[in-house]
Amino acid sequence: MSVIGAIMALIPSLYIFFGLFDKPNENWQQIKEYMLFESVVQSLYLVVGTVFFSVIIGVSLAWLVAAYDFPMRKFFHFAFLLPLAIPPYIAAYTYGSMLSYTGSVQVFMRNTLGVTPNQAYFDILSMKGAIFIFSMFLFPYIYLMTKTFMEKQSAAFIENARLLGKGQLHIFFRIVLPLSQAAIIGGASLVAFEVLNDFGVTKHFGIASFTATIFKTWFGMYDVDSALRLSALLMSAIIGLFIMERLLRRRRRYHSATSKLNPLKRRKLSYLGTAAAIFVSTVIFALSFAIPVVQLLVWAKWTYQDVLNSKFAQLVSNTLLVSIVAITVLMLLAVIVANVSRSLNRSLLSLAATKLILMGYSIPGAVLSIGVLALFISLDHQLSGVYSWLGFGSSKLVLSMSLVMLIFAYVIRFLGVGFNAVEAGFDKIGNRYSEASRTLGIGMTATFFKVDLPLIKGSILAGFLLTFMEIMKELPLTLLLRPFNFETLATKAYQYASDEQIHQASVPSLFIITVGTATVFVYHWLGEKKSR
Amino acid sequence: MKKNYIVSVVLLTMLTVLVLAGCGANNAGNDKTNASSPSPEASPATTEAAGGSNDTSKNNNKEQVVNVFTARHYDVDSQLFDAFTKETGIKVNEIKGTAEELVERLKREGESSEADLFITVDGGVLNYAKQNEVLQPIQSTTVDSNVPAELRDNENNWVGIATRARVIVYAKDRVKPEQLSTYEDLANAAWKGKVLARSSASLYNQSLLASFIELNGEQKAEEWAKGIVANFARDPEGGDRDQAKAVVAGLGDVAIMNTYYVGQMLNSKDTEEVKVAEKIGVFFPNQETTGTHLNISGVGLTKHAKNKDNAVKLIEFMTGKDGQTLLTQGSFEFPVNAAAEKPELLKGWGDFKTQKLDFSKLGDHNKKAVELLAKAGWK
Repeated sequence: MSVIGAIMALIPSLYIFFGLFDKPNENWQQIKEYMLFESVVQSLYLVVGTVFFSVIIGVSLAWLVAAYDFPMRKFFHFAFLLPLAIPPYIAAYTYGSMLSYTGSVQVFMRNTLGVTPNQAYFDILSMKGAIFIFSMFLFPYIYLMTKTFMEKQSAAFIENARLLGKGQLHIFFRIVLPLSQAAIIGGASLVAFEVLNDFGVTKHFGIASFTATIFKTWFGMYDVDSALRLSALLMSAIIGLFIMERLLRRRRRYHSATSKLNPLKRRKLSYLGTAAAIFVSTVIFALSFAIPVVQLLVWAKWTYQDVLNSKFAQLVSNTLLVSIVAITVLMLLAVIVANVSRSLNRSLLSLAATKLILMGYSIPGAVLSIGVLALFISLDHQLSGVYSWLGFGSSKLVLSMSLVMLIFAYVIRFLGVGFNAVEAGFDKIGNRYSEASRTLGIGMTATFFKVDLPLIKGSILAGFLLTFMEIMKELPLTLLLRPFNFETLATKAYQYASDEQIHQASVPSLFIITVGTATVFVYHWLGEKKSR
Repeated sequence: MKKNYIVSVVLLTMLTVLVLAGCGANNAGNDKTNASSPSPEASPATTEAAGGSNDTSKNNNKEQVVNVFTARHYDVDSQLFDAFTKETGIKVNEIKGTAEELVERLKREGESSEADLFITVDGGVLNYAKQNEVLQPIQSTTVDSNVPAELRDNENNWVGIATRARVIVYAKDRVKPEQLSTYEDLANAAWKGKVLARSSASLYNQSLLASFIELNGEQKAEEWAKGIVANFARDPEGGDRDQAKAVVAGLGDVAIMNTYYVGQMLNSKDTEEVKVAEKIGVFFPNQETTGTHLNISGVGLTKHAKNKDNAVKLIEFMTGKDGQTLLTQGSFEFPVNAAAEKPELLKGWGDFKTQKLDFSKLGDHNKKAVELLAKAGWK
């Protein structure tokens, strides 16, 4: 069963990947000459810049919250997860509008302070601005993975270093950073994929990123083949990165030596340290959540009467329905794949197989949707005999006209996110328990349910909540693969925003953010319960 | 113990949801299919009899629908569809998406496609759909009389439903309209550091350049793009509204943008946007020469439309007087039907000379335009 699932998940990716071996058409030369190099450079800037800043923010905040005690620490831990609830394209449009000439900041300066500021200071629609947006709204991935790791895994090492009288900086740079390397890289790669896949932010900001070029090739030159080819190139690069990361991480596995993990004891900060910690935390919280949300609330007050109509409740229930169905299927698959791959002893074969399944995350959504569409339409044609036997009438498109196609696409797109969470859980517990169980003569399946599952429950739940947030925000797949009259909060928000109606977009955006915040809250609450 | 309990409950809930949702998803599929087969009891017989032939008689006893693939997603379009349903009882189903994606979907679905109409912004894409053979001629004398021939495909594969003029807007306090003349003039050194436009990813800019390729030739078009790039006040960024704001903020003096954004800004709930729109002037370029460039929104009848009659009815409604009035009052686009009641704002701008060219040519040149924009370094 899992094998069939895995193969199905592979087909759309492979379909795109094999485009690389077709003969290039006459456009290819032009694309290579005028677009390719520039877009690679722009994407590198974007990814390197974003990863750099989000690692700095994410890791230092994680260390602050994990290792020190200061007033409002608990609140800030929750607050640093909240940016996940805001889709970057919404943040981009919000900041773009807010800082524009007619935005609240400049209007306040002009009308209240009587100053007309230099426009150059407000130029957020630029490479720097994009890096700011991505860093502010994606750092929680790194924060989350790193903090969890620091609290649980590296506690013993840190306590020992403290006993040996090492200074805080020494501990951070010589012990915490190297130990957390895997968690940081895991979070950073999620951030990098998000950036590479983005189209909303880069389009609005006018950045010729690699993905923007893929779309320009498709939507401007009407050249689907070359667009698929570019995607295949991007995919290969990402798989290369994946494998490199894995090889680098391979030699550095730190499982705790004992089965009893003592959580890290937090230290009190000095007065100055407390003030600094609260200040920095407040600034980050304000920039990455409070400010855009307040702005959206103001806009929502202007427009809610036009937007909140009878169809709106439908949007909310649609969004919840598809997300939850997709995630449930996805997490089941993720657990199966992770479990199988780990018991295959990390052979090269299992490594390759799992990486291939994770390819979905590396393909730009809109291009992946073509792969999925191709698969489902041909499936529908294969099954047309079955359909008429089942009494479906002359209708030939059953699966591709239903939610099944969209849900399938979500599953292959975000399997990587769920898989990463589950794998991290398995990594943490190591193979000792299951090996012991197997040695005692208990079968693989029984071992899984009796030994592994209870141990990785938390990771599964984490994966569930993370993917929920992702799917709720997802755009390109939803746009193309949904059935008739099916709108989600994300598609509605994006349509308003891309038509330059950011004020109208605020209402669906706030709904996404509210549901996201609730998700973060549940996640947080469960975490707190556990540590008590 | 307590913690275990909570986690178990959550896991159990996940499982229940999976089962329920599994049924839900199946039901969604069944609903869809039931809608397209006459009735459950009759279906086996119908399936045998139908055998692929698509006679309309079997459609009589089911809900009347028309299925639309649309790349336009304005609230006013939905209002238009609602008005149509109210008048005719025919339900309009929508799948929205990017035009090129929808064409790709139509292509791949082939004969089995459920779509009846394809609606999009931009003549180039309409032509792209035609070239990909996913459309068929619309045969309706009503439509022919609603829409002038120059706003229809030469084989009626698609017809226009609204147009937008891509114009020059200027800072009223710094630029006199007499200083403006043509798009071509903006490439002159006199405008160095003063011109604003959005990025080359914008279809509007691609179509504008495609129109120059048709009118002035490739060489001239390329020179123009290079000239504009050399005159940019800043690297292209943001949307059309952002260009207007940049003009008022003093970043540049003139911007290339669509008229309907000016209309929307003037009617914005944000008083600051209204102020911006009041400070810019709208100039219709090339009045003495080739005319102002238009974008066209249009509708095509899909090649394998299953509800062809209803689809044609919807096109007739959209291009008719009432439909056109509703559409343009909401979007500030220009109507294609002269009988429509135009918004005051559009009336105030008066009549103007438009580019006389075959919209299908825009599609032919779009690829070249993207290339030239890239070559010119237009971000």
